[in-house]
Amino acid sequence: MNTSTQKNELIFGYASGNLGEAKSLFTSMYLFLNGAAAKKSSIFDNLLAEDFNKLEGIKPNKLKFSDCIKTTKDTEVPIRNKNLVSPLSKIIGDIGNINWKSVYKGFKEFSIPVYDNDSVKLIQMDPGTSVPLHSHNGKEYILVLEGSFCDEYGEYNKGDIQINDQKIKHNPTACKNDGCICLTITENDVVFFGKFGSILNLFTFIKSFFK
Amino acid sequence: MENSKIIDLVKKISKNRDELAFSEIFDFISPKINAYYIKNNLSNEQAEELTQEVLSTIWTKAEFFNPEKSKFTTWSFTIARNKKIDFHRKNKRNDVNEEDIRDFLYENNKSDDYEIESTINKITEELDQNQKKLIKMSFFEQKSHKNIATELEIPLGTVKSRIRATLSKMQKHI
Repeated sequence: MNTSTQKNELIFGYASGNLGEAKSLFTSMYLFLNGAAAKKSSIFDNLLAEDFNKLEGIKPNKLKFSDCIKTTKDTEVPIRNKNLVSPLSKIIGDIGNINWKSVYKGFKEFSIPVYDNDSVKLIQMDPGTSVPLHSHNGKEYILVLEGSFCDEYGEYNKGDIQINDQKIKHNPTACKNDGCICLTITENDVVFFGKFGSILNLFTFIKSFFK
Repeated sequence: MENSKIIDLVKKISKNRDELAFSEIFDFISPKINAYYIKNNLSNEQAEELTQEVLSTIWTKAEFFNPEKSKFTTWSFTIARNKKIDFHRKNKRNDVNEEDIRDFLYENNKSDDYEIESTINKITEELDQNQKKLIKMSFFEQKSHKNIATELEIPLGTVKSRIRATLSKMQKHI
């Protein structure tokens, strides 16, 4: 789990535009919060630009340079994207104002509308709240936006991601001081284990009809 | 064209809206951008339309080019690539302009050109010709794994495992 290769696949996929809308949003937030990841993305951009440099040019047939010069009105001082608080805020607005749906005590979620088969959710866990031991039928991607959580594999802080596949069973717990807000993508349903596992799986099964 | 000459021309565009300087930049970069779109399977007409959009962006946003951060060709490539991604997004949302997000990430990137160049050199030394070709086909020309397998006459599983192996070789340096 969580191997650099999987993280890099996201970063490289984003750089080349190969990702669907859900993973593209997820990765843009990852690059926004994590300087090391942004640096990798930039290196990959530059690597692809090497291929661009080597391209043998094909002169456009009709296009002239004057067609590309916009009118004076259009060329008044361009606005830098300083107002972009985060890629996510472009979609959901202020995270403080969203309408959370309570799943159980201390655990809330909010589904982000995307045109994609993968579902993207925001998850808020109060300090010390846990998710029962579970695995996944597909991959699960978790990016910490605020606070931190820990599980059997370590502690994850703001800007860290965890990528889990079918082989991984884990029991994430929000940190005791701040809790956490995470952005998650699940490719398929969650499979719970332990004492209440079968009840939770039945609940997930029923819920899948209302997706 | 010499890098110093390009920087000088872009400065003239950003400071004085110098059309003559822009025409030189146009002659230098538009064939590459047009070829990039044609390589990515766009029709000649679509390629020229997008090339026009990229050149218009270069004209209006010339002041955003930072020679300490990247080469002009890299900056132009990222603009061209972002326009292509935007073009291919099937369901365009009015509230999300992915191009803005990508521009923002580029502008706020802290890496400098020297650091990036030395990493790129290490990677290009490490990869052999076949690996470079795979990266180019998959990520630059955006060919599907299936199409790569057909073109190179190797099984699909081999394409996937070779790409994964190449990425993991690259990540030693990044």
